Amino acid sequence: MGDAERPAILEVRELVVRYGSQTAVDGLGFSILRGEIFGLLGPNGAGKTTTLSVIEGLKKPVSGSVSVDGASPIHAPLAVKAKLGVQLQASSFQAELTIEQLARLHAGLYGLDLPRRALRDRLADVGLEQEAAKPFKKLSGGQQQRFSLMVATIHDPPILLLDEPTSGLDPQSRRQLWDRIERSREAGGSVLLTTHSMEEAQAVCDRVAIIDHGRLQALGAPGELVAMHRDDPRVRAVARGDVTLEDVFIGLTGSAIRD
Amino acid sequence: MTETAASPMPQLGLTLRSLVRADATVLLRSRQALILNFVLPIIVLVVTNRGRFGNPGFLIGMAITYGLLSSALIGYSTTVARDREAGVFQRLRVSPTPTWAIMASRLGVQLATNLAVAVVVMVVGSIIHSTAFTAGDYLLILVVSLLGAAVFLSLGQALVGLVRSATLINAIGRVLYILLILTGILGSTGILGDDFKTFASWTPVGALINLYSAVLNLVPWGSDETTALIACLGYIVVFAGIGIRWFRWDPQ
Ligand SMILES: Nc1ncnc2c1ncn2[C@@H]1O[C@H](COP(=O)(O)OP(=O)(O)OP(=O)(O)O)[C@@H](O)[C@H]1O
Ligand SMILES: [Mg+2]
Repeated sequence: MGDAERPAILEVRELVVRYGSQTAVDGLGFSILRGEIFGLLGPNGAGKTTTLSVIEGLKKPVSGSVSVDGASPIHAPLAVKAKLGVQLQASSFQAELTIEQLARLHAGLYGLDLPRRALRDRLADVGLEQEAAKPFKKLSGGQQQRFSLMVATIHDPPILLLDEPTSGLDPQSRRQLWDRIERSREAGGSVLLTTHSMEEAQAVCDRVAIIDHGRLQALGAPGELVAMHRDDPRVRAVARGDVTLEDVFIGLTGSAIRD
Repeated sequence: MTETAASPMPQLGLTLRSLVRADATVLLRSRQALILNFVLPIIVLVVTNRGRFGNPGFLIGMAITYGLLSSALIGYSTTVARDREAGVFQRLRVSPTPTWAIMASRLGVQLATNLAVAVVVMVVGSIIHSTAFTAGDYLLILVVSLLGAAVFLSLGQALVGLVRSATLINAIGRVLYILLILTGILGSTGILGDDFKTFASWTPVGALINLYSAVLNLVPWGSDETTALIACLGYIVVFAGIGIRWFRWDPQ
């Protein structure tokens, strides 16, 4: 891939984040290259959303640093936010507004004064033209996901942060999202996404990081990780037949359910 | 998605315009806001003015005051609390929007609505009492209404700053609302004695009603009115200070 000469667009170094006395992210570090699709994998509560919150400037870390295209979300939050397209895991929109009004609001917040036609086109792009007059809450779960994605990409950001973007999507929409992600890479964009689907990680991610308890467990291309951990006894113990990325994931993060 | 490293910062004008348009639409589409802002003061006005048990300036002032109070303490603070809990602010805050702009837009839309209500109440009041107010009266009423709106919005801001849960804010807002109105009414009538009347004139509602009465030339400007003005300014500084200092944007 020629990683050596490709510059990193997003760097996370020795990040520590706490909620009260609980440490949610514990010395995490990774970097994402320009044009790369990077997957953050980990069981529930591993610290994925928390890590994204720091990059998004929503949460202040205890220590460590984040650099987005050379800028820090702590010192230059607005400049960083202008570069990011964000789909939050749990986000909501003003209940009284229709999704067309919401699209107009968010376009404006990203510096785009879109006429009605353009707003309709954006909605049509994610198959929501018919729903333009509905409030967000009246959309189905998958439609809500698609609307959030539309808002995240409304300003063609160089970096997309997607927190479980395909949860609740039907297979068609999921494929469509993958296609969009691929296209964004072709246009030079970078994507950081979280997912619980190993199939998805394998299908779209150039590299993945597996994290648990806020710490990095493994980092590499999905195929590399499988090759690297094929003989790990923890992985062998859970594999049924050929070792898959899911076996590596469960082997490294344990099979107990997380709270 | 493009490779342009330059993602330009949005113009502040467009940001504010977008926020204000959205906040105004929310207010216009919300039935709760409509009732709290417009219907309540008109009802207060019509009911209290039927018996003619007071002078028009006092009664009109009282109706506007209750409208301001309910729109801030019940309307504004519950909406902010609800949006915070639902994650609406999180979504706004990941965009390149300064947080002060998010708040300023909401407060600005509230203030504009409050002024519109004040005018409507005055017009309806002048019809009921078949008196005509001068342009100067309108101006003075608007100035006092702005002051009153600022007092109550600061109070609402302090409430959402100190309390996190939307349900709790809703409950406390209602209790405060009733308490403030009761002291305002009981104090101004003087039926609980002079000491209570003095105390009431220092409360937000009492102070404001005194100011309304004064500017409509019902009573000459005196120490009560100076007291009221000082009280209002003090409330704004203290409550807005608390509300801004302790306000938390995160849902939890
Ligand atoms: N607002 C909060 N207050 C307190 N603790 C929190 C808060 N948000 C997250 N946590 C805790 O921090 C840890 C990491 O949570 P986080 O949301 O980052 O996990 P995640 O990897 O995104 O999980 P999931 O896959 O379930 O979305 C968890 O133990 C969680 O309980
Ligand atoms: Mg999460």
